[in-house]
Amino acid sequence: MIRNTRMKRISIVSAVAVAGAMVLSTLPAQAADPGVTSTEIKLGLSSPQTGTAALSYGKLPKAMKAYFDYINANGGVYGRKIKLIARDDKYLPTQAATQTTNLVLNDKVFALVGALGTATHTKAYAAAQLAKNNVPDLFVNTGFSGFDNKTKYPTTFLVLPSYAMEAKIIGKFIADTPTLKPQASFLVAQDDEFGIDGVNGFKLAGHTFTKTTLYPQGGLSSTLAEGALTAFSAAPGKPVIVLMGTTDTTATILKAAEKLSLTTKFNWIVGSVGGDANTLLALGVKSTTIDGVMAASFFPDAKDINDEYVSQFMKINMSYNPGVSFDNVVLQGMNSAMLTVQALRAAGKNLTRAGLIKAIEDKGSTFASAGLAPLNYSATSRVGYNGYWFGQLNAKGELLPYITGKRTLYTTDSTTTSAPVLSTYERKPIPKNGIPTN
Amino acid sequence: MHKISANRKRLFTFILLGWVLLLIGDRIGELRQYQGAFVAMYALAIASIILLTGYSGQLSLGHSALMAVGAYAGALSINNLKLNPVIALIVAALVAGIFGLILGIAAARLSGPYLAGTTLALAISLPTIANQFTILGGEQGILFDIGAPPARFGEGFSQYKWFFWISSLAALIMIWMISNLLHSKFGRVFRALRDNQTAAQLAGINIGRQKAVAFGLSAGVAGLAGGLLVMLISGVSPSAFPLSLSFSLLTGAVVTGVYDLKGVMLGGLVLVAIPEIADSIGSRVGGSDGFTMALPGFLVSALLILAVLFLPNGPGKLLKKKM
Repeated sequence: MIRNTRMKRISIVSAVAVAGAMVLSTLPAQAADPGVTSTEIKLGLSSPQTGTAALSYGKLPKAMKAYFDYINANGGVYGRKIKLIARDDKYLPTQAATQTTNLVLNDKVFALVGALGTATHTKAYAAAQLAKNNVPDLFVNTGFSGFDNKTKYPTTFLVLPSYAMEAKIIGKFIADTPTLKPQASFLVAQDDEFGIDGVNGFKLAGHTFTKTTLYPQGGLSSTLAEGALTAFSAAPGKPVIVLMGTTDTTATILKAAEKLSLTTKFNWIVGSVGGDANTLLALGVKSTTIDGVMAASFFPDAKDINDEYVSQFMKINMSYNPGVSFDNVVLQGMNSAMLTVQALRAAGKNLTRAGLIKAIEDKGSTFASAGLAPLNYSATSRVGYNGYWFGQLNAKGELLPYITGKRTLYTTDSTTTSAPVLSTYERKPIPKNGIPTN
Repeated sequence: MHKISANRKRLFTFILLGWVLLLIGDRIGELRQYQGAFVAMYALAIASIILLTGYSGQLSLGHSALMAVGAYAGALSINNLKLNPVIALIVAALVAGIFGLILGIAAARLSGPYLAGTTLALAISLPTIANQFTILGGEQGILFDIGAPPARFGEGFSQYKWFFWISSLAALIMIWMISNLLHSKFGRVFRALRDNQTAAQLAGINIGRQKAVAFGLSAGVAGLAGGLLVMLISGVSPSAFPLSLSFSLLTGAVVTGVYDLKGVMLGGLVLVAIPEIADSIGSRVGGSDGFTMALPGFLVSALLILAVLFLPNGPGKLLKKKM
């Protein structure tokens, strides 16, 4: 009897314990965000590694990885190593959508970094449900101002200034430069986000072109380019031609000008996306042709070894990305990686997706960066840099300050008709050895 | 003893397949649901090629353009006419079908390499033309948003499962319809066209008209697949339909067996799985960047050669032989 009672008690206690354990196990635990452990942070990147776009941007993933490897070798971020998983989207929307979905669902990354392109990333953002899953979408390489819509893209932060800002500043530069102002001006631009944003930006700046030629991405043949240049050459004086397209298209147009012996007939202004001198030279444009081309930029020149950011990134590139030449794309990749490390640090040791987004909103504008224009992040703005300086390429492909010998920086916004203003902004010095300690 | 007709057998098979897919959809993760939706979409697109090439003997290298026509029609129906997404997918099939019919009439006198060349030109030029119209959104394209799944399915019913359901159901219904069509008078006429046009003409078949009909039907199926594709990536833009898509679909059709519909799901699976397999091999074996980049193309080529050598009529025929 006693034995029975004891057994009953034991049974009841066991049953209660099991039931308690079951109840506790079904209670919603404070689920950690995917992709982050006590030793590792997984980041994802979808960008072109093959195909024609890879000619211009193929170095981006390795540049970012090289910087993260450098940070990992120096202790990581609060002891966590950064693992970058890069997938090739060939610059195709379908591939971008599937690869980004793969990164989120299969690779279970904590955040995305450095995605490239507008048509690609708009599809990827929706397909991978980044907004619903609150996946931070950091430092996207496009200037399409549509991404500045926080309601539609609540987790996205762009790194580039918007194309509208760039167009406004080019308009202001033409108006402020006595040799350019009286000349006829022509715009040759891609019929995509450049078209939408760029043309709007010129309208906001009050600049009217004598003629605007829009062409689809990848759709400007050398025959079309020659036809357009022949028509433009009928204008008197030394007309201004503004090129807002990718570098391969800039090369097509400049080579057409070479063929027609019209390189010196025009004042050439190249937008930041299509003005990488190394790529232009690699694509067969003569060094004498690029000598004198004016270009807008928010970065120092990638060949400027006196720039502390450039020289530090070059050192990292030599050690962690051997055999890859240092150019604007590598500079851009390493800069985005450094911004990422600062954002992760700003989010604190208890890393969450929501915390990371909040940290960039609150502190992103104070991050150290190679950019020579201010960063524009806030609770209401998701656009990165908000300004450009104007330079002139020399025959070696170096971008040097235009005429004055000193960089003149303009800053502006994407949406108002207020004129761009001259800025005295001084960027922060690079953190010691390029390792953020914010 | 009552004998079940072939039509009923097909219907039961497809209903059974539908149930199996529903069950599978419930038991796999979101990524597999998303990939499954792509498999169904590609299977449908491959079926459109098999209908045209395998059954009516016309070679098209421009099916990506026909998919684009359907995709844009569907997107405009949702954005401008505010139609229900399911209706929009039907519109996608209808508009692409009409486009294909007109193209088929224009190309009725062409065959072999001339037809292939014409459709190739279409695949190259159509995305460029799409860029010229503001209503089509230029390079950026336009949204194709089917919205969240109905609330009655519950909170746990994810968007990916919704995609899987729509894609699988659309593919199953359409492939069932094609299968019925190919077992009807139309199927016999198409096969006659393919095998001997002179004999078909002597038998009273209007060659030009039937070729145009085959082209229209194939285009309609491709248009629906195009609508499904842009549903899965939430938007349509010219770069979503590169020429390489046409070639991928042809590859899928050859692997499937271009004269048989039975293996279309396998074809879809191959197109989705090859990049995954290549990724997996690349990360395990290692090797240079060039090796990793070339691996998917190498695997597809190897599969094509193996299919042509060992299964020229597709795995479906092999199953039939064994049975």
